Amino acid sequence: MSLFEIAFYVVAICIIVFSVMAVTTSSILRSATYLLFVLLSTGGVYAILGYTFLSAVQLMVYAGGIIVLYVFSILLTRSSGTMKYRVGKGKMTSVLITTIVGMALVMFILTTNNFAHNIIPQGIELPVKQIGHALIGTEKYQFVLPFEVLSVLLLASMIGSIMIARRKR
Amino acid sequence: MFDYYNLTPLLRSIHAFMCGIMPEWLAMTIEGIAVGLFIMIMYAILAIILIYMERKVCATFQCRIGPNRVGGKGGLLQVPADVIKILTKEIIYLKDNDKFLYGLAPFLVITASILTFSCLPWNKGGEILHMDIGIFFVLAASSIGVLGILLAGWSSNSKYTLIGAVRSGAMIISYELSIGISVLTMVILSGAMDIQAIVSNQSDGWNIFKGHIPALMAFIIYLIAGNAEANRAPFDLAEAEQELTAGYHTEYSGMHFGFFYLAEYLNLFITAGIAVTLFLGGWMPLHISGLDAFNAIMDYIPGVIWFVGKTFFIVFILMWIRWTFPRLRIDQVLILEWKYLMPLSLFVLLLMTVCKVFGWVF
Amino acid sequence: MGNFKDYINGYTFGIKSLIVGLRTSMKVFREKNITEQYPENRHTTLYIPERHRAMLTMPHDENGNNKCVACGLCQMECPNGTIRITTETRETEEGKKKKFLVKYEYNLGSCMFCQLCVNICPHDAIKFTNDFENAVFEKEKLVLTLNKKN
Repeated sequence: MSLFEIAFYVVAICIIVFSVMAVTTSSILRSATYLLFVLLSTGGVYAILGYTFLSAVQLMVYAGGIIVLYVFSILLTRSSGTMKYRVGKGKMTSVLITTIVGMALVMFILTTNNFAHNIIPQGIELPVKQIGHALIGTEKYQFVLPFEVLSVLLLASMIGSIMIARRKR
Repeated sequence: MFDYYNLTPLLRSIHAFMCGIMPEWLAMTIEGIAVGLFIMIMYAILAIILIYMERKVCATFQCRIGPNRVGGKGGLLQVPADVIKILTKEIIYLKDNDKFLYGLAPFLVITASILTFSCLPWNKGGEILHMDIGIFFVLAASSIGVLGILLAGWSSNSKYTLIGAVRSGAMIISYELSIGISVLTMVILSGAMDIQAIVSNQSDGWNIFKGHIPALMAFIIYLIAGNAEANRAPFDLAEAEQELTAGYHTEYSGMHFGFFYLAEYLNLFITAGIAVTLFLGGWMPLHISGLDAFNAIMDYIPGVIWFVGKTFFIVFILMWIRWTFPRLRIDQVLILEWKYLMPLSLFVLLLMTVCKVFGWVF
Repeated sequence: MGNFKDYINGYTFGIKSLIVGLRTSMKVFREKNITEQYPENRHTTLYIPERHRAMLTMPHDENGNNKCVACGLCQMECPNGTIRITTETRETEEGKKKKFLVKYEYNLGSCMFCQLCVNICPHDAIKFTNDFENAVFEKEKLVLTLNKKN
């Protein structure tokens, strides 16, 4: 077992524990905090895979952006203390069955197709120049069109939100 | 040329020696712990130096002497005495608040600060966290700190802290844009995101000279936005002591408060350090083309002294700004960012791109 | 278009005023410190104005005589009852009966330095000095006797 594997298992356990805690806790702000830890650990997984760029994006966009936005909106609204409510027995069993079936399916696919030992070498950082060229290149395996379409989509949603938030004259 | 103080061979030989007497994973772990300890100790020492410097500089700006009694002439032991005092203080937990988030908040702030701190280039081969995306990671890691502030403000269960936290959140999110864009400007000039590559690109001239007008403008924008990011006056409205007692850390005591205090001062140092890395050549000595003897003498000064010296120069400029300008109101802060700094930094980004494309940079 | 011009003017005005501010504070930075380091400068640069009222005294001439005629006006005028005068009536050579001062007690602890006693005194027998280091450890020591002899 190499150091990378130990780090991976630690991070994976973090993800599982914190995601369970995020959905079971009764306080909404705690839930947001646990979600932050889940996202940070996901960033850790990317870093272990050598995708430091993606891991930094994860940190910046999700941890530093989305969670801050969540927390901010929770602070600005009056939250009603606890969110505890009872889950019925039938609902509980159906959720459990769905989860177990889904997990089994994922495990089956992962083990039969050798996804675990895949292309990306562990611990070797992907150069950011390569990512940049892939994002704005026009050749095969280069993605300028989706990139630009996404930016247009973002612009449209920004303009839309400004239009909605604007005071009517 | 300036390889007198390159640390890489030394560190390599230490690692080889460690691997010789124990398995590699153990060697890596021990080295990791040693480096972590080193970071913590540097962090504490720098905080003490910065607090002392702040008190002295502030005093001089107000025609005073500042601390001068504790520890002989100059009051050198004043800050260590304060640190020992704060370590012995009780950490007070409040009634009816979220204890977990209340305890977590200072650690989030200090973790973000230490993560960015370990990215600073101290010397040739003296970087601690070395990544291909270096400067981008710094931006990403520093964005976690604001969460600590928001959680601290909410979990203290008080109006003052909540107002302080919301103000600080709004401000930091806004100013991250300007910082990001001005950093991007310099990434365009250097053609690299790796911090060591950015520094070694400046061996033939610091970026602020190479990129002339756009680099200078980006430098000023970076200083303003970095000051806001570090929550310091004139952008200290998160803790505005006249109106909010102490803002988001009103209810904290003992070492929990100490963490906020430490992080505030180290964020100042980190802001200055990144400014030095991006604009003033990091650990590169000052060279003037033509004066070979002068350049050779400058090469003999170790890189770490260059880096720390330049950083403290920037820290002094930031302190000068702090003790000159009055605090801004929250709407003024947001107007300054969204109506003035943001468009200006976008313009500078464009200008730098044009200069780089047409080869108008040195 | 006027809006845009205002915007640019706002920039230049802002930058100009910021530079003025920075220049001013730099000027102050290079000025000499004006801190008085009190216990050290006690015998060198410490300056207390003459008019500062710190303690009531009764000046004596070289023969040890004061100008007090024991009229008691200061005692009556004092709002706090700080001054207590003890007198005795003696016969002078001319055979006149005259009041003489026996003891002039002044309680520094209750004095509020209003100067009414000095103003009322018809013979300028008492005055305030700027001798301000009067702290003592016991309350009784604050009660001072101002005259040297009866």
